[in-house]
Amino acid sequence: MSPKRRAVPDLAVQVGPLRFRNPVIAASGTFGYGTEFDPYFDLEEIGGFVTKGLSLLPRRGNAPPRTCETACGMLNAIGLANVGVEAFLDEKLPALRGRDTVVIANVFGETRDEYVAVARRLNGARGVHAIELNLSCPNTEKGGIAFGVSPPLTCEVVAAVRRAAPDLPLIVKLTPNITDIAEAARAAKDGGADILSLVNTFLGMAIDLDRRRPILDNVVGGLSGPAIKPLALYMVHRVFREVPLPIIGMGGIASVEDALEFMVAGSAAVQVGTINFVEPGAPARIARGMAAWCRAHKVPAVRDLVGTLTLPGRGPAATPAG
Amino acid sequence: MPVDVSARIVAHEALNPDHRLLTLEAPGIARAAKPGQFLMLQVHTGRDPLLRRPMSICRVPGAGRRRIEVVYKIVGEGTRLLAQQRAGAALPALGPLGNGFRLPPAGRRGAAPRVVMIAGGIGIAIFPFLAEALRRRGVRPTLLFGARGAADLVYTAPFRARGIPIRYATEDGSRGERGYVTTILAPLLEADGPKPLLYACGPTPMLRAVGDMAVRAGAPCQLALESQMPCGIGVCLGCVVACPGDPSGPAYRRVCTEGPIFMAGEVRL
Repeated sequence: MSPKRRAVPDLAVQVGPLRFRNPVIAASGTFGYGTEFDPYFDLEEIGGFVTKGLSLLPRRGNAPPRTCETACGMLNAIGLANVGVEAFLDEKLPALRGRDTVVIANVFGETRDEYVAVARRLNGARGVHAIELNLSCPNTEKGGIAFGVSPPLTCEVVAAVRRAAPDLPLIVKLTPNITDIAEAARAAKDGGADILSLVNTFLGMAIDLDRRRPILDNVVGGLSGPAIKPLALYMVHRVFREVPLPIIGMGGIASVEDALEFMVAGSAAVQVGTINFVEPGAPARIARGMAAWCRAHKVPAVRDLVGTLTLPGRGPAATPAG
Repeated sequence: MPVDVSARIVAHEALNPDHRLLTLEAPGIARAAKPGQFLMLQVHTGRDPLLRRPMSICRVPGAGRRRIEVVYKIVGEGTRLLAQQRAGAALPALGPLGNGFRLPPAGRRGAAPRVVMIAGGIGIAIFPFLAEALRRRGVRPTLLFGARGAADLVYTAPFRARGIPIRYATEDGSRGERGYVTTILAPLLEADGPKPLLYACGPTPMLRAVGDMAVRAGAPCQLALESQMPCGIGVCLGCVVACPGDPSGPAYRRVCTEGPIFMAGEVRL
Protein backbone atom coordinates (compact mmCIF):
# COMPACT_ATOMS: atom_id res chain seq x y z
CA MET A 1 0.00 0.00 0.00
CA SER A 2 1.64 3.19 -1.10
CA PRO A 3 1.19 6.24 1.10
CA LYS A 4 -1.23 8.77 -0.29
CA ARG A 5 0.70 11.60 -1.87
CA ARG A 6 0.25 14.72 0.19
CA ALA A 7 0.25 18.11 -1.43
CA VAL A 8 3.00 20.42 -0.22
CA PRO A 9 1.36 23.61 1.08
CA ASP A 10 2.34 26.75 -0.79
CA LEU A 11 3.89 29.14 1.73
CA ALA A 12 5.00 31.84 -0.72
CA VAL A 13 3.52 35.29 -0.23
CA GLN A 14 3.54 38.41 -2.35
CA VAL A 15 3.67 41.56 -0.20
CA GLY A 16 3.32 44.60 -2.42
CA PRO A 17 6.37 44.47 -4.71
CA LEU A 18 8.20 41.88 -2.53
CA ARG A 19 7.94 38.13 -2.88
CA PHE A 20 8.87 35.92 0.09
CA ARG A 21 9.43 32.17 0.13
CA ASN A 22 7.31 32.03 3.26
CA PRO A 23 5.71 34.70 5.45
CA VAL A 24 8.23 34.52 8.31
CA ILE A 25 10.63 37.47 8.56
CA ALA A 26 13.04 38.02 11.46
CA ALA A 27 12.53 41.46 12.98
CA SER A 28 14.96 44.36 13.22
CA GLY A 29 16.97 44.60 16.43
CA THR A 30 16.52 40.93 17.22
CA PHE A 31 18.52 39.40 14.40
CA GLY A 32 21.78 41.34 14.24
CA TYR A 33 22.97 41.52 10.65
CA GLY A 34 21.77 38.01 9.82
CA THR A 35 24.92 35.88 9.90
CA GLU A 36 24.83 35.70 13.72
CA PHE A 37 22.11 33.09 13.26
CA ASP A 38 24.08 30.83 10.90
CA PRO A 39 24.80 28.33 13.72
CA TYR A 40 21.08 27.82 14.30
CA PHE A 41 19.38 27.62 10.91
CA ASP A 42 19.77 28.35 7.24
CA LEU A 43 18.61 31.87 6.32
CA GLU A 44 17.02 30.33 3.25
CA GLU A 45 14.50 28.58 5.49
CA ILE A 46 12.72 31.87 6.24
CA GLY A 47 11.16 34.54 4.11
CA GLY A 48 13.72 37.15 5.00
CA PHE A 49 15.09 39.30 7.78
CA VAL A 50 15.42 42.94 8.75
CA THR A 51 18.82 44.29 9.81
CA LYS A 52 19.53 46.17 13.00
CA GLY A 53 18.49 49.81 12.45
CA LEU A 54 21.13 51.67 10.45
CA SER A 55 22.08 55.30 10.98
CA LEU A 56 24.45 57.46 8.95
CA LEU A 57 27.25 57.16 11.53
CA PRO A 58 27.94 54.35 13.99
CA ARG A 59 26.15 54.70 17.32
CA ARG A 60 27.25 53.33 20.68
CA GLY A 61 23.81 53.30 22.24
CA ASN A 62 22.62 53.96 25.79
CA ALA A 63 24.35 53.32 29.09
CA PRO A 64 23.41 50.06 30.83
CA PRO A 65 21.14 48.72 32.24
CA ARG A 66 19.52 48.56 28.81
CA THR A 67 17.02 45.77 29.33
CA CYS A 68 14.64 44.52 31.97
CA GLU A 69 12.55 41.39 31.96
CA THR A 70 8.81 41.98 32.60
CA ALA A 71 5.76 39.72 32.73
CA CYS A 72 5.77 37.65 29.49
CA GLY A 73 8.10 40.13 27.86
CA MET A 74 10.92 42.60 28.24
CA LEU A 75 11.76 46.28 28.07
CA ASN A 76 14.69 47.52 26.04
CA ALA A 77 16.40 50.86 25.68
CA ILE A 78 19.38 49.90 23.56
CA GLY A 79 19.59 53.39 22.09
CA LEU A 80 19.81 52.31 18.45
CA ALA A 81 23.40 51.11 18.72
CA ASN A 82 24.60 50.03 15.27
CA VAL A 83 27.65 49.90 13.03
CA GLY A 84 26.45 52.68 10.71
CA VAL A 85 25.42 52.35 7.08
CA GLU A 86 28.96 52.43 5.63
CA ALA A 87 30.20 49.57 7.81
CA PHE A 88 27.02 47.67 7.00
CA LEU A 89 27.69 47.99 3.28
CA ASP A 90 31.42 47.20 3.57
CA GLU A 91 31.51 44.55 6.30
CA LYS A 92 28.08 42.98 6.73
CA LEU A 93 26.36 43.00 3.36
CA PRO A 94 28.97 41.01 1.37
CA ALA A 95 28.31 37.93 3.54
CA LEU A 96 24.60 38.18 2.70
CA ARG A 97 24.90 38.35 -1.06
CA GLY A 98 24.06 35.06 -2.68
CA ARG A 99 21.79 34.01 0.18
CA ASP A 100 18.41 33.26 -1.26
CA THR A 101 16.43 35.28 1.28
CA VAL A 102 14.98 38.79 1.34
CA VAL A 103 17.35 41.24 3.04
CA ILE A 104 15.59 44.33 4.37
CA ALA A 105 17.68 47.23 5.67
CA ASN A 106 16.12 49.05 8.61
CA VAL A 107 16.81 52.80 8.52
CA PHE A 108 16.48 55.55 11.07
CA GLY A 109 17.71 59.07 11.60
CA GLU A 110 17.50 61.91 14.05
CA THR A 111 16.61 64.32 11.27
CA ARG A 112 14.83 64.02 7.96
CA ASP A 113 18.13 64.61 6.20
CA GLU A 114 19.74 61.70 8.02
CA TYR A 115 16.96 59.34 6.90
CA VAL A 116 17.46 60.59 3.37
CA ALA A 117 21.24 60.17 3.49
CA VAL A 118 21.06 56.59 4.75
CA ALA A 119 18.36 55.65 2.23
CA ARG A 120 20.39 57.16 -0.60
CA ARG A 121 23.43 55.05 0.38
CA LEU A 122 21.30 51.89 0.35
CA ASN A 123 19.56 52.59 -2.94
CA GLY A 124 21.24 50.45 -5.56
CA ALA A 125 23.36 48.49 -3.04
CA ARG A 126 23.52 44.93 -4.40
CA GLY A 127 21.99 42.51 -1.90
CA VAL A 128 19.59 44.98 -0.26
CA HIS A 129 16.04 44.15 -1.34
CA ALA A 130 13.99 46.71 0.58
CA ILE A 131 14.12 49.46 3.16
CA GLU A 132 12.15 49.45 6.38
CA LEU A 133 11.83 52.89 7.96
CA ASN A 134 11.91 53.00 11.74
CA LEU A 135 9.87 56.07 12.66
CA SER A 136 10.24 55.61 16.43
CA CYS A 137 13.50 57.57 16.59
CA PRO A 138 13.29 60.93 18.41
CA ASN A 139 13.46 63.90 16.05
CA THR A 140 16.22 66.12 17.41
CA GLU A 141 15.02 69.06 15.30
CA LYS A 142 11.50 68.90 16.71
CA GLY A 143 12.15 68.67 20.44
CA GLY A 144 12.77 64.92 20.47
CA ILE A 145 9.29 63.68 19.64
CA ALA A 146 9.30 60.52 17.58
CA PHE A 147 8.65 61.06 13.86
CA GLY A 148 6.04 58.34 13.91
CA VAL A 149 3.70 59.99 16.43
CA SER A 150 3.07 62.91 14.08
CA PRO A 151 1.17 62.03 10.88
CA PRO A 152 2.45 65.14 8.99
CA LEU A 153 6.07 64.36 9.95
CA THR A 154 5.52 60.72 8.99
CA CYS A 155 4.23 61.71 5.58
CA GLU A 156 7.11 64.14 5.06
CA VAL A 157 9.93 61.75 5.97
CA VAL A 158 8.37 58.86 4.02
CA ALA A 159 8.06 61.04 0.92
CA ALA A 160 11.67 62.21 1.27
CA VAL A 161 12.97 58.66 1.60
CA ARG A 162 10.78 57.54 -1.29
CA ARG A 163 12.56 60.10 -3.51
CA ALA A 164 16.02 59.23 -2.11
CA ALA A 165 15.66 55.49 -2.73
CA PRO A 166 13.39 55.20 -5.77
CA ASP A 167 14.59 51.68 -6.66
CA LEU A 168 13.84 49.97 -3.34
CA PRO A 169 10.47 48.81 -2.03
CA LEU A 170 9.67 50.96 0.99
CA ILE A 171 8.26 49.45 4.18
CA VAL A 172 7.20 51.91 6.88
CA LYS A 173 7.28 50.56 10.44
CA LEU A 174 4.62 52.15 12.59
CA THR A 175 4.87 53.00 16.25
CA PRO A 176 1.93 51.95 18.43
CA ASN A 177 2.51 54.91 20.77
CA ILE A 178 -0.14 57.06 19.13
CA THR A 179 -3.85 57.55 19.70
CA ASP A 180 -4.96 56.15 16.36
CA ILE A 181 -2.47 54.06 14.44
CA ALA A 182 -4.71 54.19 11.35
CA GLU A 183 -3.88 57.91 11.00
CA ALA A 184 -0.16 57.13 10.97
CA ALA A 185 -0.82 54.36 8.44
CA ARG A 186 -2.67 56.78 6.14
CA ALA A 187 0.15 59.31 6.46
CA ALA A 188 2.69 56.66 5.47
CA LYS A 189 0.56 55.71 2.50
CA ASP A 190 0.24 59.34 1.44
CA GLY A 191 4.02 59.67 1.66
CA GLY A 192 4.46 56.79 -0.77
CA ALA A 193 4.95 53.68 1.37
CA ASP A 194 4.62 50.36 -0.44
CA ILE A 195 4.10 48.27 2.69
CA LEU A 196 3.33 48.90 6.36
CA SER A 197 4.96 46.95 9.16
CA LEU A 198 3.42 47.11 12.61
CA VAL A 199 3.91 47.38 15.46
CA ASN A 200 7.14 48.61 16.98
CA THR A 201 7.51 48.38 20.79
CA PHE A 202 5.20 50.02 23.31
CA LEU A 203 6.76 52.61 25.63
CA GLY A 204 7.02 51.39 29.19
CA MET A 205 9.09 51.45 32.33
CA ALA A 206 10.06 49.34 35.30
CA ILE A 207 10.89 50.46 38.82
CA ASP A 208 13.25 49.09 41.44
CA LEU A 209 11.07 49.59 44.50
CA ASP A 210 13.82 49.21 47.09
CA ARG A 211 15.92 51.95 45.49
CA ARG A 212 12.92 53.89 44.14
CA ARG A 213 14.73 54.25 40.84
CA PRO A 214 13.91 53.29 37.29
CA ILE A 215 15.58 50.02 36.31
CA LEU A 216 16.56 51.25 32.85
CA ASP A 217 19.26 53.91 32.79
CA ASN A 218 17.21 55.53 30.01
CA VAL A 219 14.16 55.48 32.35
CA VAL A 220 11.81 54.55 29.48
CA GLY A 221 12.08 51.59 27.12
CA GLY A 222 10.16 49.63 24.53
CA LEU A 223 8.03 46.69 25.65
CA SER A 224 8.06 43.59 23.47
CA GLY A 225 7.34 39.88 23.70
CA PRO A 226 4.17 37.81 24.12
CA ALA A 227 2.82 40.44 26.56
CA ILE A 228 2.03 42.81 23.65
CA LYS A 229 0.47 40.32 21.26
CA PRO A 230 -3.21 41.24 21.83
CA LEU A 231 -2.40 44.96 21.51
CA ALA A 232 -0.50 44.41 18.27
CA LEU A 233 -3.09 42.07 16.83
CA TYR A 234 -5.81 44.68 17.33
CA MET A 235 -3.71 47.35 15.62
CA VAL A 236 -3.13 45.10 12.61
CA HIS A 237 -6.87 44.41 12.48
CA ARG A 238 -7.65 48.12 12.59
CA VAL A 239 -5.10 49.20 9.97
CA PHE A 240 -6.12 46.35 7.65
CA ARG A 241 -9.71 47.65 7.66
CA GLU A 242 -8.79 51.31 7.30
CA VAL A 243 -5.83 51.56 4.94
CA PRO A 244 -5.39 49.78 1.60
CA LEU A 245 -1.71 48.81 1.86
CA PRO A 246 -0.20 45.37 2.49
CA ILE A 247 0.77 44.73 6.10
CA ILE A 248 3.64 42.89 7.75
CA GLY A 249 2.33 42.24 11.25
CA MET A 250 4.35 41.71 14.40
CA GLY A 251 4.18 41.91 18.17
CA GLY A 252 4.89 39.03 20.51
CA ILE A 253 4.76 36.25 17.93
CA ALA A 254 6.25 33.10 19.46
CA SER A 255 4.30 30.26 17.84
CA VAL A 256 2.89 29.17 14.49
CA GLU A 257 -0.60 29.92 15.77
CA ASP A 258 0.42 33.45 16.80
CA ALA A 259 1.78 34.08 13.30
CA LEU A 260 -1.31 32.74 11.59
CA GLU A 261 -3.61 34.83 13.79
CA PHE A 262 -1.80 37.92 12.53
CA MET A 263 -2.36 36.72 8.98
CA VAL A 264 -6.04 36.12 9.56
CA ALA A 265 -6.23 39.66 11.00
CA GLY A 266 -4.81 40.99 7.74
CA SER A 267 -1.01 40.58 7.70
CA ALA A 268 0.36 39.40 4.39
CA ALA A 269 3.56 38.36 6.20
CA VAL A 270 4.80 38.50 9.80
CA GLN A 271 7.90 39.46 11.71
CA VAL A 272 9.23 37.41 14.57
CA GLY A 273 11.29 39.35 17.09
CA THR A 274 11.82 38.96 20.83
CA ILE A 275 11.39 35.18 20.71
CA ASN A 276 14.66 35.09 18.71
CA PHE A 277 16.45 36.06 21.96
CA VAL A 278 14.88 33.10 23.76
CA GLU A 279 15.23 30.59 20.97
CA PRO A 280 17.50 31.52 18.04
CA GLY A 281 15.90 28.86 15.84
CA ALA A 282 12.40 30.27 16.36
CA PRO A 283 11.88 31.83 12.87
CA ALA A 284 12.73 28.53 11.14
CA ARG A 285 10.59 26.58 13.62
CA ILE A 286 7.62 28.84 12.90
CA ALA A 287 8.12 28.62 9.12
CA ARG A 288 8.27 24.81 9.27
CA GLY A 289 5.27 24.74 11.57
CA MET A 290 3.26 26.78 9.08
CA ALA A 291 3.66 24.07 6.48
CA ALA A 292 2.53 21.45 8.99
CA TRP A 293 -0.43 23.57 10.09
CA CYS A 294 -1.60 24.17 6.52
CA ARG A 295 -1.32 20.46 5.75
CA ALA A 296 -3.26 19.49 8.87
CA HIS A 297 -5.96 22.08 8.17
CA LYS A 298 -6.11 21.38 4.44
CA VAL A 299 -5.11 24.93 3.53
CA PRO A 300 -3.37 24.66 0.14
CA ALA A 301 -1.73 28.11 0.26
CA VAL A 302 -0.99 30.09 3.39
CA ARG A 303 -1.75 33.38 1.59
CA ASP A 304 -5.38 32.24 1.46
CA LEU A 305 -5.61 32.95 5.19
CA VAL A 306 -4.78 36.65 4.91
CA GLY A 307 -7.62 38.85 6.10
CA THR A 308 -10.09 35.97 6.49
CA LEU A 309 -11.26 37.08 9.93
CA THR A 310 -14.99 36.52 10.31
CA LEU A 311 -16.64 39.13 12.47
CA PRO A 312 -19.69 38.33 14.58
CA GLY A 313 -22.83 38.59 12.48
CA ARG A 314 -20.87 39.42 9.34
CA GLY A 315 -19.00 37.53 6.66
CA PRO A 316 -15.25 37.33 6.20
CA ALA A 317 -13.52 40.68 5.81
CA ALA A 318 -13.02 41.85 2.27
CA THR A 319 -9.40 42.17 1.26
CA PRO A 320 -8.68 45.85 0.70
CA ALA A 321 -5.19 45.32 -0.66
CA GLY A 322 -3.30 42.49 -2.31
CA MET B 1 30.11 26.83 17.36
CA PRO B 2 27.30 26.98 19.92
CA VAL B 3 24.39 24.58 19.66
CA ASP B 4 20.82 24.80 20.95
CA VAL B 5 19.89 21.41 22.33
CA SER B 6 17.29 19.76 24.48
CA ALA B 7 19.30 18.79 27.57
CA ARG B 8 17.97 16.01 29.76
CA ILE B 9 18.30 16.52 33.50
CA VAL B 10 20.42 13.64 34.80
CA ALA B 11 20.46 14.79 38.41
CA HIS B 12 19.23 17.79 40.35
CA GLU B 13 20.35 17.92 43.94
CA ALA B 14 20.08 20.38 46.78
CA LEU B 15 23.46 21.52 48.08
CA ASN B 16 21.62 23.40 50.85
CA PRO B 17 18.17 25.04 51.12
CA ASP B 18 18.79 27.59 48.35
CA HIS B 19 21.64 26.18 46.24
CA ARG B 20 21.30 23.46 43.61
CA LEU B 21 23.62 21.28 41.55
CA LEU B 22 22.11 20.50 38.15
CA THR B 23 23.63 17.84 35.88
CA LEU B 24 22.56 17.99 32.23
CA GLU B 25 23.11 15.52 29.43
CA ALA B 26 24.34 17.78 26.60
CA PRO B 27 27.24 16.20 24.68
CA GLY B 28 27.22 18.87 21.95
CA ILE B 29 27.85 21.59 24.50
CA ALA B 30 30.06 19.54 26.82
CA ARG B 31 32.52 18.53 24.11
CA ALA B 32 33.11 22.11 22.94
CA ALA B 33 33.05 23.83 26.35
CA LYS B 34 36.02 25.72 27.80
CA PRO B 35 36.43 27.06 31.34
CA GLY B 36 34.75 30.45 31.78
CA GLN B 37 32.08 29.84 29.17
CA PHE B 38 28.36 29.72 29.88
CA LEU B 39 25.09 28.44 28.57
CA MET B 40 21.65 29.99 28.22
CA LEU B 41 19.22 27.72 30.01
CA GLN B 42 15.46 27.83 29.59
CA VAL B 43 14.11 27.27 33.08
CA HIS B 44 10.63 26.09 32.12
CA THR B 45 8.35 25.63 29.12
CA GLY B 46 6.12 28.63 29.86
CA ARG B 47 6.45 32.24 28.69
CA ASP B 48 6.60 33.97 32.07
CA PRO B 49 9.40 34.57 32.77
CA LEU B 50 10.23 34.68 29.09
CA LEU B 51 14.01 34.81 28.88
CA ARG B 52 16.60 32.10 29.38
CA ARG B 53 19.04 32.37 32.26
CA PRO B 54 22.81 32.57 31.70
CA MET B 55 24.61 29.90 33.76
CA SER B 56 28.34 29.32 34.11
CA ILE B 57 29.50 25.91 32.98
CA CYS B 58 30.63 24.64 36.37
CA ARG B 59 32.22 21.36 35.32
CA VAL B 60 32.23 18.84 32.51
CA PRO B 61 32.37 15.70 34.64
CA GLY B 62 33.69 12.36 33.43
CA ALA B 63 35.98 11.41 30.59
CA GLY B 64 33.24 11.09 27.97
CA ARG B 65 32.43 14.83 27.99
CA ARG B 66 28.72 14.20 27.67
CA ARG B 67 27.48 16.07 30.72
CA ILE B 68 27.52 19.56 32.15
CA GLU B 69 27.21 20.61 35.76
CA VAL B 70 25.57 23.88 36.67
CA VAL B 71 25.46 25.27 40.21
CA TYR B 72 22.99 28.02 40.97
CA LYS B 73 21.36 29.88 43.81
CA ILE B 74 17.59 30.34 43.98
CA VAL B 75 17.26 34.12 43.88
CA GLY B 76 14.13 34.90 41.86
CA GLU B 77 11.25 33.56 39.84
CA GLY B 78 13.44 32.01 37.12
CA THR B 79 15.68 30.02 39.45
CA ARG B 80 12.66 29.09 41.60
CA LEU B 81 11.00 27.52 38.54
CA LEU B 82 14.27 25.86 37.55
CA ALA B 83 14.55 24.30 41.01
CA GLN B 84 11.19 22.57 40.43
CA GLN B 85 12.50 20.70 37.38
CA ARG B 86 13.04 17.00 38.09
CA ALA B 87 15.54 14.48 36.76
CA GLY B 88 14.32 13.07 33.46
CA ALA B 89 12.87 16.37 32.23
CA ALA B 90 14.57 18.15 29.34
CA LEU B 91 15.41 21.85 29.13
CA PRO B 92 16.52 23.84 26.08
CA ALA B 93 20.19 24.73 26.56
CA LEU B 94 22.25 26.92 24.24
CA GLY B 95 26.03 26.87 24.43
CA PRO B 96 28.89 26.96 24.89
CA LEU B 97 28.83 30.76 24.77
CA GLY B 98 31.31 33.50 25.54
CA ASN B 99 35.09 33.79 25.27
CA GLY B 100 36.19 31.77 28.31
CA PHE B 101 39.26 32.24 30.50
CA ARG B 102 42.72 32.60 29.06
CA LEU B 103 44.90 29.92 30.61
CA PRO B 104 48.52 30.47 31.58
CA PRO B 105 51.04 28.65 29.38
CA ALA B 106 51.76 25.12 30.58
CA GLY B 107 54.89 25.41 32.73
CA ARG B 108 57.59 22.96 33.63
CA ARG B 109 57.19 21.46 37.08
CA GLY B 110 58.34 24.05 39.59
CA ALA B 111 58.15 26.87 37.04
CA ALA B 112 54.36 27.10 37.02
CA PRO B 113 52.93 30.56 37.70
CA ARG B 114 51.17 31.31 40.97
CA VAL B 115 47.42 31.45 40.35
CA VAL B 116 44.71 32.71 42.68
CA MET B 117 41.01 32.17 42.02
CA ILE B 118 38.71 34.62 43.81
CA ALA B 119 35.06 33.67 44.22
CA GLY B 120 32.24 35.70 45.76
CA GLY B 121 29.05 33.79 46.63
CA ILE B 122 27.56 31.91 43.70
CA GLY B 123 30.54 33.11 41.61
CA ILE B 124 32.14 29.87 42.81
CA ALA B 125 30.19 28.10 40.05
CA ILE B 126 32.66 29.12 37.34
CA PHE B 127 35.78 27.77 39.06
CA PRO B 128 35.69 23.96 39.25
CA PHE B 129 36.12 23.71 35.47
CA LEU B 130 38.99 26.24 35.53
CA ALA B 131 40.66 24.49 38.46
CA GLU B 132 40.69 21.19 36.56
CA ALA B 133 42.18 22.83 33.47
CA LEU B 134 44.87 24.50 35.57
CA ARG B 135 45.73 21.24 37.33
CA ARG B 136 46.20 19.57 33.94
CA ARG B 137 48.73 22.29 33.13
CA GLY B 138 50.65 21.57 36.28
CA VAL B 139 49.34 24.65 38.06
CA ARG B 140 47.98 24.32 41.57
CA PRO B 141 45.81 27.39 42.16
CA THR B 142 44.68 28.76 45.49
CA LEU B 143 40.98 29.50 46.00
CA LEU B 144 39.83 32.51 47.98
CA PHE B 145 36.13 32.13 48.69
CA GLY B 146 34.06 34.92 50.21
CA ALA B 147 30.35 35.07 51.02
CA ARG B 148 27.86 36.59 53.45
CA GLY B 149 27.94 33.58 55.72
CA ALA B 150 29.03 29.96 55.92
CA ALA B 151 25.74 28.77 54.32
CA ASP B 152 26.75 30.40 51.03
CA LEU B 153 30.11 28.62 50.85
CA VAL B 154 28.85 25.82 48.60
CA TYR B 155 30.35 23.23 46.29
CA THR B 156 33.92 23.18 47.52
CA ALA B 157 34.15 19.39 47.07
CA PRO B 158 35.70 19.57 43.56
CA PHE B 159 38.53 21.74 44.89
CA ARG B 160 39.17 19.66 47.98
CA ALA B 161 39.22 16.52 45.81
CA ARG B 162 42.10 18.02 43.81
CA GLY B 163 44.06 19.22 46.78
CA ILE B 164 43.44 22.89 46.05
CA PRO B 165 43.94 25.03 49.14
CA ILE B 166 40.89 27.14 50.06
CA ARG B 167 40.77 30.24 52.25
CA TYR B 168 37.47 31.65 53.38
CA ALA B 169 36.11 35.07 54.28
CA THR B 170 32.58 35.70 55.51
CA GLU B 171 30.89 38.99 56.27
CA ASP B 172 29.40 37.61 59.49
CA GLY B 173 32.56 35.80 60.51
CA SER B 174 30.81 32.42 60.55
CA ARG B 175 33.70 30.83 58.64
CA GLY B 176 37.26 31.91 57.94
CA GLU B 177 38.29 35.56 58.14
CA ARG B 178 35.60 38.09 59.03
CA GLY B 179 35.23 40.52 56.13
CA TYR B 180 35.29 40.51 52.37
CA VAL B 181 37.29 38.28 50.08
CA THR B 182 39.47 41.32 49.37
CA THR B 183 40.57 41.16 53.01
CA ILE B 184 42.33 37.85 52.36
CA LEU B 185 43.47 38.84 48.86
CA ALA B 186 45.36 41.95 49.98
CA PRO B 187 48.34 40.19 51.67
CA LEU B 188 48.87 38.00 48.57
CA LEU B 189 49.26 41.10 46.41
CA GLU B 190 51.50 42.95 48.86
CA ALA B 191 54.07 40.15 49.06
CA ASP B 192 57.35 40.71 47.22
CA GLY B 193 58.21 38.78 44.11
CA PRO B 194 56.25 38.04 40.96
CA LYS B 195 52.57 38.88 41.22
CA PRO B 196 50.08 36.01 40.99
CA LEU B 197 47.66 35.61 38.09
CA LEU B 198 44.15 36.35 39.30
CA TYR B 199 40.79 35.00 38.18
CA ALA B 200 37.71 36.53 39.81
CA CYS B 201 33.96 35.89 39.67
CA GLY B 202 31.29 37.30 41.96
CA PRO B 203 29.01 40.28 42.51
CA THR B 204 29.91 43.48 40.66
CA PRO B 205 31.07 45.43 43.76
CA MET B 206 33.49 42.58 44.52
CA LEU B 207 34.78 42.51 40.95
CA ARG B 208 35.28 46.28 41.03
CA ALA B 209 37.27 46.05 44.27
CA VAL B 210 39.35 43.06 43.13
CA GLY B 211 39.98 44.64 39.74
CA ASP B 212 41.15 47.92 41.31
CA MET B 213 43.49 46.08 43.70
CA ALA B 214 44.91 44.01 40.86
CA VAL B 215 45.54 47.00 38.62
CA ARG B 216 47.26 48.88 41.48
CA ALA B 217 49.43 45.85 42.29
CA GLY B 218 50.23 45.12 38.65
CA ALA B 219 48.75 41.63 38.84
CA PRO B 220 47.07 40.40 35.63
CA CYS B 221 43.46 39.75 36.54
CA GLN B 222 40.63 38.21 34.56
CA LEU B 223 37.13 39.19 35.69
CA ALA B 224 34.10 37.03 34.88
CA LEU B 225 31.17 39.45 34.53
CA GLU B 226 27.48 38.97 35.08
CA SER B 227 24.86 41.04 33.30
CA GLN B 228 21.20 41.21 32.41
CA MET B 229 21.51 39.04 29.33
CA PRO B 230 18.43 38.49 27.17
CA CYS B 231 19.96 36.60 24.21
CA GLY B 232 23.51 35.43 25.01
CA ILE B 233 24.51 35.45 21.33
CA GLY B 234 25.42 39.07 20.70
CA VAL B 235 22.31 40.32 18.94
CA CYS B 236 20.16 42.10 21.53
CA LEU B 237 22.99 44.40 22.71
CA GLY B 238 21.38 44.42 26.14
CA CYS B 239 24.24 43.09 28.28
CA VAL B 240 26.90 45.69 27.49
CA VAL B 241 29.56 46.94 29.86
CA ALA B 242 31.25 50.32 29.53
CA CYS B 243 34.91 50.41 28.58
CA PRO B 244 37.06 53.41 29.41
CA GLY B 245 37.58 54.84 25.99
CA ASP B 246 38.12 57.97 24.04
CA PRO B 247 37.03 61.37 25.34
CA SER B 248 33.84 61.40 23.25
CA GLY B 249 32.25 58.86 25.55
CA PRO B 250 32.32 55.26 26.62
CA ALA B 251 32.56 52.38 24.22
CA TYR B 252 30.37 49.44 25.10
CA ARG B 253 31.20 45.78 24.80
CA ARG B 254 28.85 42.83 24.91
CA VAL B 255 29.36 40.69 28.00
CA CYS B 256 27.92 37.68 26.15
CA THR B 257 30.22 37.61 23.14
CA GLU B 258 33.19 39.90 23.82
CA GLY B 259 33.14 38.56 27.40
CA PRO B 260 32.10 37.36 29.87
CA ILE B 261 35.81 37.36 30.73
CA PHE B 262 37.52 40.77 30.63
CA MET B 263 40.89 41.92 31.92
CA ALA B 264 40.70 44.21 34.96
CA GLY B 265 41.19 47.77 33.75
CA GLU B 266 39.59 46.95 30.42
CA VAL B 267 36.04 47.56 31.67
CA ARG B 268 34.44 50.14 33.92
CA LEU B 269 32.28 48.43 36.53
